[in-house]
Amino acid sequence: MATADTQGYRPGLVDLSAGQISREIFVNDEIYQQELERLFARVWLFVGHESQIPNPGDFFVSGMGEESVILCRDRLGQVHAFLNSCRHRGMKVCRYDEGNTPVFTCPYHGWSYGTDGRLVGVPYFREAYHEKLDKSQWGLVEVPQLCCYKGTVWACWDPEAPSFFEYLGDFVHYLDLTLDGWDGSEGGTEILGGIQKWRIPCNWKFPAENFCGDSYHNISHRSVDLVGIGPSGSGRRDMQERLMARRLQVSFYERGHQTGVYLFPHDQPTPPSYQHSPIVAEYFAHCEEERRKKRGAWTRLIGSPGEIFPNTALHPRQPRTIAAWHPRGTHQTEVWRWYLVDKAAPQEVKDFLRDYYIRYSGPAGMTEQDDMENWNYAHAASRGTIARRYPYSYEQGLGHEIANYESEGLRVPGTVMDITEAKSSEHNLRNLYRRWAEFMEAESWEVLATWRHDSRAAAE
Amino acid sequence: MGEAAVTARIQGYRPDLVDLAKGQISREIFVNDEIYREELERVFTRAWLFVGHESQIPNPGDFFVSSMGEESVILCRDRTGKVHVFLNSCRHRGMKVCRYDEGNAAVLTCPYHGWSYSTDGKLVGVPYFREAYHSTLDRSAWGLVEVAQFCCYKGSVWATWDPAAPPLLEYLGDFLPYIDLTLDAWDGSDGGTEILCGIQKWRVPCNWKFPAENFSGDAYHNISHRSVDLVGIGPSGSGRRDMPELNMARKLHIAFPERGHQTTSYLLPKEAAPPPAYQHSTVVSDYFRECEAARRRKRGEWGRMIALVGEVFPNTAYLARQPRTLAAWHPRSAHETEIWRWFLVDKSAPAEVKDFLRDYYIRYSGPGGMTEQDDMENWNYAHAASRGTIARRYPYSYEQGLGTEVENYEWQGFRVPGTVCDLTQAKSSEHNLRNLYRRWAEFMEARSWDELMSWRRQRQAAAAE
Amino acid sequence: MSEPVNIRQIAPGTKIALVDGAVAEIVSNPADGVWVFARYLSSPSDPARVGGEEMIFAQDIVEIRE
Repeated sequence: MATADTQGYRPGLVDLSAGQISREIFVNDEIYQQELERLFARVWLFVGHESQIPNPGDFFVSGMGEESVILCRDRLGQVHAFLNSCRHRGMKVCRYDEGNTPVFTCPYHGWSYGTDGRLVGVPYFREAYHEKLDKSQWGLVEVPQLCCYKGTVWACWDPEAPSFFEYLGDFVHYLDLTLDGWDGSEGGTEILGGIQKWRIPCNWKFPAENFCGDSYHNISHRSVDLVGIGPSGSGRRDMQERLMARRLQVSFYERGHQTGVYLFPHDQPTPPSYQHSPIVAEYFAHCEEERRKKRGAWTRLIGSPGEIFPNTALHPRQPRTIAAWHPRGTHQTEVWRWYLVDKAAPQEVKDFLRDYYIRYSGPAGMTEQDDMENWNYAHAASRGTIARRYPYSYEQGLGHEIANYESEGLRVPGTVMDITEAKSSEHNLRNLYRRWAEFMEAESWEVLATWRHDSRAAAE
Repeated sequence: MGEAAVTARIQGYRPDLVDLAKGQISREIFVNDEIYREELERVFTRAWLFVGHESQIPNPGDFFVSSMGEESVILCRDRTGKVHVFLNSCRHRGMKVCRYDEGNAAVLTCPYHGWSYSTDGKLVGVPYFREAYHSTLDRSAWGLVEVAQFCCYKGSVWATWDPAAPPLLEYLGDFLPYIDLTLDAWDGSDGGTEILCGIQKWRVPCNWKFPAENFSGDAYHNISHRSVDLVGIGPSGSGRRDMPELNMARKLHIAFPERGHQTTSYLLPKEAAPPPAYQHSTVVSDYFRECEAARRRKRGEWGRMIALVGEVFPNTAYLARQPRTLAAWHPRSAHETEIWRWFLVDKSAPAEVKDFLRDYYIRYSGPGGMTEQDDMENWNYAHAASRGTIARRYPYSYEQGLGTEVENYEWQGFRVPGTVCDLTQAKSSEHNLRNLYRRWAEFMEARSWDELMSWRRQRQAAAAE
Repeated sequence: MSEPVNIRQIAPGTKIALVDGAVAEIVSNPADGVWVFARYLSSPSDPARVGGEEMIFAQDIVEIRE
């Protein structure tokens, strides 16, 4: 098992057996530089959604780690992700957020690339280059691996990395909770509205650990709960399932992904929601019924915040959103937030949800603001010369994990922490940092793909 | 110990950064980020820093959020009346435990996950301690981080992170009587001062050492304040301050080389009548005239000493006379300082005196103060110019009055503690500034407080003989 | 789930009902909206707590009773 293999990145920095992590990993510039190399250059990162680039020539400028990338669809309809940097002298080849274009032309010297990345236009190719430049060698840098899954687009710079599905492992079932239509139709979601982008003065790991399952910080959102911004006019979200469901935290040790989940009892009727609008309430009630028919026992699971390692956060229910925590230096994060709705939902439902999403999330969202306040000052305090000598506490629930969790015939994939009675645990947070430590230590994907070792060992 | 002897001992921090023999200091020490980070470790975690005043936290549960170096700290009084200084950072995930400037609280509760600390720093509230922690968390090990030492002296509160640092009074040494001139009431009663109104806080885009050296005794920059002198903002309606003693007193630079503290003070002649002051208000001038008389009775010869500006190493400045104020130059980066200014008045002064002084203080000091603005203008551009690639190759000049300092200075029967430069004829010297940087260089080089307490080694050597 | 209760202004002497069925009486309120100090009046799930004073977390309070 992975924990036994990893002593903890630079002993004293991440100590999983004691449940203590040094503040240094959040504020140390050297560690940050290593993250860019060992983490962001090797993992699968969320880049965008196919619904943002439906037609040939469509492009959306995104980010992978610190770098700008162009997500686009070429003339033949194929999707690409390119480094947004001219091969000649580095200038951004595309300076717009999104659009449609037959070619990407660099404003500096005019080199021009097709939407398939090939260098097609070189000013004075005959006169100045004497036709010697080998254009085929100077196309846009393209990610070696790209995967479209139920509309979402993912990319990875490392050709040695496992495929996206192998990278996800069994976590794919939880990703589906965000991407499928609420009625259970495969990949029945699309992006709603624009993408929110804003910067926060904190290290990217603060939001990352929050969304991988910080079940403890609800008290921070108390003012929002009291005001009642939820879609049924009470609380922050419609969460009646809390009363009747088991509340679980699910971690995938070998992959580093984790999520929260609510597990309903067998044959439990769905609680009403979206009471502020009869049309919306009816739509979702109908969806629930359809989902039961399509998904059977799996309908018992409702997702709550989760994270695909290292920095793609999922919020599958209310609101429904995917966020990327882009590193912008040790002390700054740029958040990009996408919102999802069912493709087939009536317009009134989409409008209703948009209002709710904006109320809840984003830089002006009332709940997100509570979180940012905490991350800002937690980060600022961690930079202090004295403060950084004192580790953070991550010991909550240590030792109470369950490997094969089963409930009324439904086996829940992953290692589970049942927090229904415990109220909270830091199980998922430890999982994130375990995997983080492994990436910071491992020389290659051979070492990181531990599940392959296990199956090889089993085969012998 | 003479300056020459001390200079010989200290080669100078990274030779040619601080050259005390020549009186030249490299601009690098003001703008270099690496040096700044070392300062945070070597100076600000080891020195005694001014945190606040007891009059700000009179009752149990009172708190005032202050700063030590870059870090936020909570100065508070617990239920039993005991004073504490804590790092303002939750032990769980670092969030500021107290986000207010000041107030009164029964507990300090972190807004992130709800961990709650009593005012004596103990972790008393942990949500779901039984359910989520299965009662295993050792709460006694997760209380707020507390300073290693703190000291309340005549109302002022000081703290240090270093358990090996000498106690505050030893840290101050013979500089103590000059601090008293700021903290005692004007009539000489011990510690008879209190803080007036709010604390001014503002940021200046310059390294903290610019204000620090200015208040250590920059006697040379009065020309900067000429416009204010001409306008006449002083409490008697002329000049910038009431300083008639200038005409009759000896103007002195007094430095304590082993401690790093220094002051500019005036020594009045024996039997000199107290100079008139505060002529704009009869009530106020009467009050101070009575105080002067009382002070001479209580303090004898020390009644002749009027302190002007001074600095406790490294970054606590005082102005003992007009206006009466303490300032901390908090480092916020190599290129930015956050200034916190406290104003003092006599506790027992009539309300009319306090009001009068408040107007005068605001007129003079702080971000809206006319004199302080002159200073900030200078510091801003001095700093900006020092950042330049070419500019930083050229050292600053600190040679004014090199070699003219004396020990055992005495005038009309008063022996002045410290190493003195008499400025009465010389008008100015940079003796005090050199003293600041000498001590700064020592802190930057020394591996521990053992190396920094030269006076103890002397004592031991003397005892051994 | 029960609605969140605003506990910032509950005066000493007020009774509160807790999520585990217990009832307690406010002893003091630090007014931070997160904690109150209360004495247990009844505690079906753990009778040993009755009479004891503890810090009660806001999320464990389901109702304010007079």
